[in-house]
Parts: sequence; C-alpha cells; structure tokens
Amino acid sequence: MDSEPTTLLQGTLDLLILKSLVAGEMHGLGISRRIQQITSGTFVVKPGSLFPALHRMEEEGWISSFWGDSENNRRAKFYRLTKPGRKQLEVETERWGRISWAIAQALGAS
Amino acid sequence: MPLFVKVRSFLRNLFLSRSVEADLDQEVHSHLEMLTEENIRAGMSPQEAQRAARIELGGIEQVKEQVRDERVGNWLQSVLSDCRYALRQFRKNPGFTAVAVLTLALGIGATTAIFSMVNSVLLRPLAYRQPQQLYLVREIIPELSQTYPTLPANLPNSRVWQHECHSFDDVAIVEPWNMTLTGYGEAEQISGGRASANLFDVLGIVPELGRTFLPQEDAPGKDQVVVLTDSFWRGRFHADPAMVGRSITLDGQPFQVVGILPASFRFPRAAQLGALVEFASRADYFKPLGLDPEQFSPLGEFDFAAIARLRPGTSVGQALAELNVIQARIAKDAKEDVGLRAVMISLESEVVGTARRGLILLLFGVGAVLLIVCMNLASLLLVRVPGRMREAAIRTALGASRARLTRQLLTESALLAVLGGVLGIGLAYFGLQLLVAVAPANLPRLDEVHVDARVLWFTVFVSLLTGILFGALPAWRVAHAEPQQALKAGAATTTESRLALRLRQSLIGFEVGVGTLLLIIAGLLTTSMVRLLGVDKGFTTEHVLAVDVSLPPQSYTKPEQKDGFYDNVLARVRALPGVTSAGWISKLPLEGQEQVDGINVPGRSSTVLQVPVANYRYVTPGYFQSIGIPLRQGRWIEQADRDRHVAVISESVANNLWPGENSLGKQFHPGEDQRPLTEVIGVVADIRTVALDEAPLLMVYLPAGPASRSWSGSHASLVVRTAIIPAALGIAVRDVIQSVDSGVPILHLRPMGEIVSESVGVRRFQMVLASLFAFFALLLAAMGIYGVVAYSVAQRRRELGIRMAFGARACDLRNLVLLQGMSPVLGGWAVGVLAAVVAGRVIRGLLFDVTPQDPLTIASVTLAVLFTGALACYVPAARATMLDPIVALRYE
Repeated sequence: MDSEPTTLLQGTLDLLILKSLVAGEMHGLGISRRIQQITSGTFVVKPGSLFPALHRMEEEGWISSFWGDSENNRRAKFYRLTKPGRKQLEVETERWGRISWAIAQALGAS
Repeated sequence: MPLFVKVRSFLRNLFLSRSVEADLDQEVHSHLEMLTEENIRAGMSPQEAQRAARIELGGIEQVKEQVRDERVGNWLQSVLSDCRYALRQFRKNPGFTAVAVLTLALGIGATTAIFSMVNSVLLRPLAYRQPQQLYLVREIIPELSQTYPTLPANLPNSRVWQHECHSFDDVAIVEPWNMTLTGYGEAEQISGGRASANLFDVLGIVPELGRTFLPQEDAPGKDQVVVLTDSFWRGRFHADPAMVGRSITLDGQPFQVVGILPASFRFPRAAQLGALVEFASRADYFKPLGLDPEQFSPLGEFDFAAIARLRPGTSVGQALAELNVIQARIAKDAKEDVGLRAVMISLESEVVGTARRGLILLLFGVGAVLLIVCMNLASLLLVRVPGRMREAAIRTALGASRARLTRQLLTESALLAVLGGVLGIGLAYFGLQLLVAVAPANLPRLDEVHVDARVLWFTVFVSLLTGILFGALPAWRVAHAEPQQALKAGAATTTESRLALRLRQSLIGFEVGVGTLLLIIAGLLTTSMVRLLGVDKGFTTEHVLAVDVSLPPQSYTKPEQKDGFYDNVLARVRALPGVTSAGWISKLPLEGQEQVDGINVPGRSSTVLQVPVANYRYVTPGYFQSIGIPLRQGRWIEQADRDRHVAVISESVANNLWPGENSLGKQFHPGEDQRPLTEVIGVVADIRTVALDEAPLLMVYLPAGPASRSWSGSHASLVVRTAIIPAALGIAVRDVIQSVDSGVPILHLRPMGEIVSESVGVRRFQMVLASLFAFFALLLAAMGIYGVVAYSVAQRRRELGIRMAFGARACDLRNLVLLQGMSPVLGGWAVGVLAAVVAGRVIRGLLFDVTPQDPLTIASVTLAVLFTGALACYVPAARATMLDPIVALRYE
C-alpha cells in the first residue's frame, strides 16, 4: 500500500485504464488494483484521479459502464472496453512506444 | 461514433442530472464499501478498515466534485447551478436585490439611452454612399472674414470647380427653397431645396420610384420637375405610386413629379450645411436649379451649399490646394482686387457640428453615474463579505477551488447586472422617447435616433462589465479568505480588517470625487445658461406673439396685393381687444440672417468688399414698439415713411459708419450704388440676430412698402404685443388672418419667448441632463456614505459601548463617527475639484460668459457636497449616541 507516489504522465492514466480493461470488464476498485498489479506497484491510482478519468473516457466513448454484482455480491459499476476504446488503445500504445523509445534514446545518448 | 456519444452524455448530464448524480453517489459509496471489505479481509478491525478506506478515497464529496469537473458540458452545468444559487441568494435578500437591480437598471438604462443618441448622431454614418468622401466647400473672402469667416458657394464658381478641379469626382450645389402647394386641399408651404441636377448622384441616393434629375433640367425653363421625399409623399399623397409622372401645382406653376426619394433619405436642416444656408426642419421636395450661370457674377450671391465628392485616393490637402489655385484664377479673371479662397469641411462633421462635444460630455456624465452605481454596489457587497466568508470557507472545505468560488460570486454579480440591464433596456427605450421629445429640434439627426443592434450589444457589454466591475473586489475578498480562520471565528465576531474599511472608504472618496466633478460641470452649464438668458437681447419677449405667414405667389403677384394683405391684417389685429400694438417684419430676431447686403455711403470706400455688410429688414410701423426694441435716437418708422427712402439703423451701424458723429440725417445706398439714397431717421438698440451667444450684427430697417421694392414680400412675421398672455390671443389672430385670406398658410404661431427658448434648446438640453446626472451622482454618493458609516457604527457597537462606559459623552461619540465618515468625503471633494479644473479646459467651448474655474460655482458645489456628506454621516452618527452601553456590550 505504501508505495512511493509516482506522478503519472499526462495521458498515461488513460492508457493504463484501457490496458487493464483488455482482460475483461471490471469495476473501479478492480481497475485500480489491476493497474497496481500490472505496474508491479509503481502506480497507485487514487479514486480522486480514477473516477474523473473513467467518467471522461466513458463520455469519449472509449469505455461503457453497467451495474453488476461484484465478486462479493455487492452492487458495483463495471466498465468495459468499446470498439473505439480498443482503437484508442492501439493509438495510445503506438504513441507511448514512440515516446518511450525517444526518451530512452535521449537518455542513452552520450 | 464518439461525437454521438459525447452529445448523448452532454444531454444526459444536462437533463438527467439527478439520475447521473445518484449514479455517481452510488458508485463512490460502493467503491468505499469494497475498500473497507478489502481492508477487513487484510485483517483490520471494522473501524480501522473504514478509516483506512476513507483515507484512501480522500473524501466522498471531493471525489464527486472532481468527477463533475471532468464532465462534458460541465461549464454549462456549473453556470446554471451558479445562477440557481444566485437566484436563491436574491430571494433570501429581497431588499438588497431590489436596490441593486433598480439602481443598475437606472444606471444602465440612462447610459443606453444616451449612447443611442451618440450612436445615431455621431457614430452612424450619414445615409449617403461613402459619406466620408463628401465635403462641404465654402468660399473665403479675407476682406470679409471679420463679419463672415466663410461664405456659401456661388453658382458660377461651383461650376468651375465641377469642371476643372480634378480632385473631385463631382460637385453639387443646393439652396433652401420653399414653394406653395395648391390644388390638394388647403394651400401649404412646402420646404426643400433647389439643387443642381447631380445632387443625388453626388450623395449616392437612388430614388425609390421614378428617377432623379436629368442634366438638362438645370437650365431655366426646363426645371419644372420635382422629386418628393418619402415622408411628404406618404403624408400628403398617401404613398400613391401613381404620383410619379403626375403634375402638381407649386407657386401656381405645373411641376411634374419625376421621382420619390427612399424613406432612409435625410437632408441636413437649419445651418447644418454651413452658416447663411438655412434649410427648413423637414425636406418635402427638391427641384432642379433652373438658373443660368451666365447671369451671376463670380463675386456675388454666395447662396449655395456646395457638396463635393472627393476622388478616391486624393487627400483633402491636395484637393484644397488645387481648389485654391482655381479660386485665385477666378478672382483674377473677375478683375477684383480680392483674395478668393476656399475651405473644405467634412460633411459629417459639419452636419453634427457643435452637438458632438455636448453629447460626448453627456455620455461621460452618464458613464460617471454608472460608475458610481458600481461603486455603491461594490461597497454594499463588501459589507456582506464577512457573512459570505463562512459560507466560502465551508465550500472550500468541501472541495471548491478558489477559481470556482470567484466564478460563483462573479456569476452572482453578473446576474444582478444582467437583470438590471434587461430592465435598463426597457427604461432606455422609454427614456429615449422622452429624450427625443424634450431634445431641441435643432439637435442634428434627431429623427434618426433609435435603438439598434449596436445599442443592444453596447448594453449587453456594459451590463456584464458593470457586473464584473462591482463584483470583482468583493469576490476577490471572499475567495481569498482563509477558510480555517473564517470557520474558527464565529460570524458574529468576525470583525472587519483595516483593509476592508479602507477599501470601502476609498470607494466613497471616489464616488464623492466623481459626484463633485459632475456637479461642477452641471453648475457651469447652468451658470452659462442663466448668463445667456440674461444677455441683452435688444428686444423683449413678455407679452409678445409672433406669427409667420407665407403669401402664395400665384395669388399675390403684385406688390400692392401683398401690401394690401399686410395692412388689412394689421388693421384688424390692432382692433382686437387685448392687443396693444402690432407690426410686420420680414424676418424675426434669432431666426438667422437674411437680405445681407452692403451699406454704401456716398463718397466712401473703394471696393465692393470693403463696404460694411448688414442684415436688411423690412418693417411696418408698430414693429419696434411691439417687439420692444428701444429707440436710441431720432424716431420710429411711421405710416408716412412708406413712400420715402428712409431707414432706422442699429447702434452698431451708427458706431461703425459714423463713430462719434450724429448719424441722424446721414445718407447711404442700401446695397449697390444704383439703389436710391436712403436717409437715417432713427437709431435703435442692437439685437441678437442669429443666436443669443452670437454678438449683434449690423441691422438696417427699411419701411415695408412702395419704397422698398427690393423686398419680395412673400414671407413676413407679424409681431403682436398684448396686454394679456400672448397665447390667449393666438386663436383670434389666426382667425383674423384666415378671414383676410384663407389661402395664406400660417407657418408658425407662438409667443416670442418660445423662439428665444428654442434658440437655446441645445444648451438647455445639455444643462438639464447634466444637472440630472449630477443630482443622481450626489444622491448615490450620499447613499453610499450613509451605508458605509451606518455599517461601521453597527460594527463598532462594542467599542462605542466601552467608550461610553468609560465616560465618553454622546457628542464625543458623534464627533468621532462624523469625523471618520467625513474624511473620505473631504478627500473625494478635493480630488473632484482638481479634476474639474483640469476638465474645464475641455468643456470651455460649451460655456458662455463663465470661466471653468468660476469660484461661485465651485463654492456652491463645495457647500452642496459637504452638506450632503455631513447629512449622510450625521444620521448614523446620531444613532451611535443613542447607544445604551449595557445593551451594546451584551450584544454578542
């Protein structure tokens, strides 16, 4: 829990949320834990950042939501990737690849 | 379809906000519960689990607010909710809201009304094609410039300009011309102009129906065609399109109507096309010149307004240089040893003339009032700041950002301003009608004044600006409150900081300063007006009735017929009960110049242009007595003088021609040498011929009758001195004229006082409005002072109570409050007086016989300001002395 706070790069949060939803539909807490898991605890997404991002992405049409039951039979709001969302993931992934390659290049240069 | 999704979300956020909110609330709560469960599974106690979950979540409301910020259309949502909140606030404080909206409505309404006038008169271009290319050309004869700085154009010269001046596309000339219309009911004198055939081409006016003039119609004999203005065509001929091509009878001659001008067409009135060219207040028709330029000399008969259209790409300087070369050649060719020059004045500035400065002054005045309204509201809102601080602190604690708070408070003030603005537009609409009704008829372009899109945009802009102006300071104060401090200190004990007090005091100082400035300006205008009305006019207005008539030329062809009519009317009017005396004159005082000609004393002067120039008037016996022009020397014109060549001259003529001599019995030629020698039989006082603020001109009065056939005699004014109030005799005099000849139109019938009052109409208009604004400014400032002092007394109850308990006397407390209240008033007053001294230079042109630093005006304004300020402070100060110390101290 007490991982050092790592500030997310602008746009990275969207990418991480889209990526975590590839595994299947998930509720907010699930997404938050999944991100923590796939980044090996580097990123902890607080609800204050997560929910605004989810709602914005839903309004963008990248994800859609529905009410369902959680693993403990509690009503929770679930999110799933939409078709435009998948496309967006590709775009973002490609962009991120370019950026990280460029940054790595820049840092590797002597 | 992301766009579709977005629109759907937008609509859902907007219209299903309740279910969206419920959804969000449930989601955040379920998240919190799942977190708690997770923590319990990790081995925490239920309480600990819940606490940890809450810490991780970071506050339910804050999270929700952050989500809301991200929503599509969030700005609209928040504006709407701010508006709803603001309206709720207004409902809670109906008194404050009513005062705010009403003062705003008055301020914005007055500003809008004045701006509409400025817009119509000054900003909107004349309704001609490319009006900025149009110039009025006037001639200058330096030898005459003492009396006539510039002259209208004459016919032959304007033709030369038209053909030879390459800087002009074209030059048109026009002079006022009245004719009598018969054959359509009662005979009516219609006014308009006779113009060169190209006038409408030069102005760029395309007729609504038919055509304008053809070039050949300028020739004598071919000129029996007219174009009618839209308003005349509608009023007199019921907008009958068949009028085009039909013939109407003007001055007994048939004229064919060839065209109707568009409804938007306006023509300058009065001397708006320069002095000595006086157009009637409405234009009914235009006819072609019908004159032969060959019959005119290049140095005489300067009668026409010449309007030139500058060739595109040519500068005024170039055009004028070229024009002056031509003028010099014309003078040389005429073999007269005079300098002939020309001057070009932009048509737009000439038409608006002196009205510009006055209107701009009024706009500044009303703007200042609006500024004071803003200051007052700002100060009212500042009073409410401590109360709002608590609320702001709670909102901040619940996650509102500073920007969000500021925006909410500004929305509140902007909403107030918009409400005021909406009401203000309504007020402006009626106010404008009132303004136009009371505005003097000689204010240029008055008939064009109305509310247009520009005015509405102006109002919207002014309203929002007002809202921001008076809301900014209080909003800033509230938004920058420290939430902790505000919450810790209870609302009741939240005392004002020194800063807040100083802020409000400087607002008061500012209000008083602006109010003082306005009062001084209004005072100067009023003093000018009083001095102007007190000027020695040379005649009296009490008990004098004036009637203008015009004899239709077709029934009055011979001079004897005209004399007969005038004598007949005179005899019958004199016989009316209540009439003391009566007499005719060719043109009344203050109605402008007419019959301007030289006074040729035999054996004197060389060139035509060195001869003194006078206004000639033709009078019957009884005129001087009736209008009350005092006789200085000699005798009046009598019945027996009608066949004699005699004259009564004004004092300035006597002083000018025969200084230090007795002018009685002296002789001169009225005009050219060929005219018979005329003997001076009397000297009368000088009169104001053109306006009260224009120095008297030389006047020569000749007897109307056989001896003065140079007078056409077709227009004249009857002056009746009455023993009773003049208006009471109006009907009787009208009946007399109708009974002598019902075919003679009566143009005006009014007391002489009305003519004087009309002649100062523009000044009165400025004075009345400026005084009104100044009064409002003072009233608002007084309200502001009262508010601030009363509030500070309420705030200082405790302190005052302690002072009292320690033995301060009532008068000590009163003086304490008075002194503190008056200090910003004194400061503002000083600044206002200084500003007035500086501004005095700008308004000097609007003043008459009073300097901008007039000590009497400044002293009386000082008295008024200090008295009002003291009164506004005194009421709450007196209340402070009535404080019961026990109650004051208990009041916590």
